[in-house]
Amino acid sequence: MAVDANNGAQNLPLFVPQKWEREEGGRFFHTGEGGDDSLGKGNHPAPNRINNVAPGVITAKLDDLIAMGRSNSLWTLTFGLACCAIEMISTHMAHHDFDRFGIVTWPSPRQADVMIIAGTVVKKMAEPIRLLYEQMPDPKWVIAMGTCATSGGPYYRSYSVVMGVDHIIPVDIYVPGCPPRPEALMDAFLKLQTKIKSDAKNHQIDDLSEHTAAASVAEVTSATATVEESA
Amino acid sequence: MTEQDPLAGQPEAKGPEASAEKPVRHGPPIVVAEEQLNERGEQTAEQLARTLGALALDAAGRDDTPWARVDASQLHRAAEKCRDGEMGMDMLNLMLAVDWVDRIQMIYVLYSTTNNRKAILKADLPAEAPKISSVTDLWEAGSWYEREAHDLFGVEFPGNSDMSPLLLYEGFEGHPGLKSYPLNDYEEW
Amino acid sequence: MSTGPQFDSVDMMLNMGPQHPATHGVFRMVLTVDGERVVDVTPHIGYLHRGTERLAEVESYGQVITLFDRVDYISNLNNELAFVRAGEKIMEVDAPERAQYIRVILAELNRVASHLLFIGTYAIDLGAMTPVMYCFRERERIENLFEHVTGARMMHNYMRIGGVKSDVPDDFVPWVHRLIGDVRKGVEETDKLLSTNEVFLGRTRGVGIIDGPMAVSCGLSGPSLRGSGIAYDVRKDDPYEIYPYLNYKVPVGENGDCWDRYYLRVLECYESLSMIEQCLNQLPDGPIMAAGRRIARPPAGEVFSHSENPRGDLGVYLISDGSDKPYRVKIRPPSFCNLIGLRPMTIGSYIADAVAILGSLDIVLGEVDR
Ligand code: SF4
Repeated sequence: MAVDANNGAQNLPLFVPQKWEREEGGRFFHTGEGGDDSLGKGNHPAPNRINNVAPGVITAKLDDLIAMGRSNSLWTLTFGLACCAIEMISTHMAHHDFDRFGIVTWPSPRQADVMIIAGTVVKKMAEPIRLLYEQMPDPKWVIAMGTCATSGGPYYRSYSVVMGVDHIIPVDIYVPGCPPRPEALMDAFLKLQTKIKSDAKNHQIDDLSEHTAAASVAEVTSATATVEESA
Repeated sequence: MTEQDPLAGQPEAKGPEASAEKPVRHGPPIVVAEEQLNERGEQTAEQLARTLGALALDAAGRDDTPWARVDASQLHRAAEKCRDGEMGMDMLNLMLAVDWVDRIQMIYVLYSTTNNRKAILKADLPAEAPKISSVTDLWEAGSWYEREAHDLFGVEFPGNSDMSPLLLYEGFEGHPGLKSYPLNDYEEW
Repeated sequence: MSTGPQFDSVDMMLNMGPQHPATHGVFRMVLTVDGERVVDVTPHIGYLHRGTERLAEVESYGQVITLFDRVDYISNLNNELAFVRAGEKIMEVDAPERAQYIRVILAELNRVASHLLFIGTYAIDLGAMTPVMYCFRERERIENLFEHVTGARMMHNYMRIGGVKSDVPDDFVPWVHRLIGDVRKGVEETDKLLSTNEVFLGRTRGVGIIDGPMAVSCGLSGPSLRGSGIAYDVRKDDPYEIYPYLNYKVPVGENGDCWDRYYLRVLECYESLSMIEQCLNQLPDGPIMAAGRRIARPPAGEVFSHSENPRGDLGVYLISDGSDKPYRVKIRPPSFCNLIGLRPMTIGSYIADAVAILGSLDIVLGEVDR
């Protein structure tokens, strides 16, 4: 007596189309109800013709897939400059738990994707920051955390502070606040994920020609010197 | 128009000729604080006077901290006496430079961990090429404070072997601690 | 008598920082090593020099408080207290008693928060991952209270010359009582987990020893100095605020090694928590701000006042020329002086211990460089 291995359950669908003949209308496969012309609605996507052939297989553009992978495992460079770094550390710790977004810190720039500029950038630190940025592999993103990294913040009159890190390296996301709350930093990362995904859709990823830095550090320091002379 | 002229009590508006003269100071008159030592401070002041002897040009104090002004060339001797004498000032708590525009004043806050007393030494330096002997051989803490004062105020310390920039970077021009150093208004650069 | 070949050894330079996870910020040191031994160490600072002291000369007294928040960004309220006390001294006003109690409660809570951060990050430096999670959990509780009272998690701007900005909320006292219970449990947990751990002891006992006279000469203060057996605590030696009314001990170490410096901070957490409890029981009613003008012009003169920060003796030298802005503000930064002690501590130790020694000093770069 033949015993059904599946104990009476329905057989698993096979990865074989049941009908190989071409239908009238030139279609090759059978499609689900409504045909492949039917549109999806809300959370119910339009039936995918491959689903009938090979259920369980996902189809997507390679760009989208890569962007999804990138945006969900953002490794940040362990790099705190000033007060904002404390809030950055708080975000990583148990209470706020940054890990659930796939964000981990990594002490080496060679394996990092994101650089969080958490704190005041002073002119002495400008050169090392640029060096670190250049050591990071592409694609890479920069988040300017706090008003200091955005525009100089409370120290905008100081003789030694760079008026925003975007004078040295290109910045993707600016986070206001002094210091920004952990929630604000999380929001910045969600925005960054959206940006990575939408960039992939618009084929703007890896366009290095747009990622040229504003000014070299040498220029920055010489510009200060001229300011001092004219003053 | 009326008697209650809003400008009545104020000094006359400055014309172009007025600005050439001494700047007119608005606002309430400056009050100078009365410096007074308390009982504990008096005792420390006596000790300080005994220790320094004729070296002290000038002395006063506030609360429990007396100060004595010494000649810049004698500062090292005075500091050594404070450290090794009865006061036992074994810690250089703080050292700072003050830019009084016509001169630069060095202030040394000394502290004794054994007697728990504070005292201050002051020395005036010329505004042009200020120079004072180093106290690094007396207190280790002097070295960094001196490098800082060198960075920010341009004070020279013969006797301190390492005078490389501490807070500023190589090639920074000027001494930003001085009142004459401009602070930027916001500008793009 | 050795007959083998003779080799010349050459000292090697090893750069650490300014971006290095174990330097707690943007600190750089260049180690000269002979094999595994450190022969010389040259610290380089100034990567966070923001010109606070110069900027304070162009801000009015009230605005300078915000700059002091950011000097030592781990113990903000202690810093505010230091400046506010200097301002009160030069303006010759006294804060009402209730304000002083509130200030001391908040400052001591901030001391605990700061020490918790130290314990956690020091554990990370030495390879233990769990304590930092425990410590930040407790720190988060304290920051929640700060947010409830002052409106901000870190940059409070809460104290004023002559008092505090606003009175504490109604549920302050029960909240703090609850908080102390939670935090004490957390500190005990971390203490049990870390302090007598064999590996931790092996990496800290007898490492980075500095003797008393050398520590004093370098200007060390706070737990770094007390670890070497010198009982110098500004709260005891130059009492301020309401500290004389409180009953507390200042723990003092004896060996001057990393473990002593570490464990003093753990003990200080317990002391601070009991001090807060005493303050809560004594908390009087009354005004929170001294009567006076809002934009104050102090008489011309100069004062030096100092107070005990989690890192040590934080002094403020304030010179006024009679206008509404300070003429000169000079901070006595405890971390800056503690860092001077790094060289005598590190020379002769192993490379791996350099991290342990640096960590045990608990520096905050914002205060080192100002
Ligand atoms: S934005 Fe505020 S908190 Fe952040 S580094 Fe600047 S001063 Fe500090």
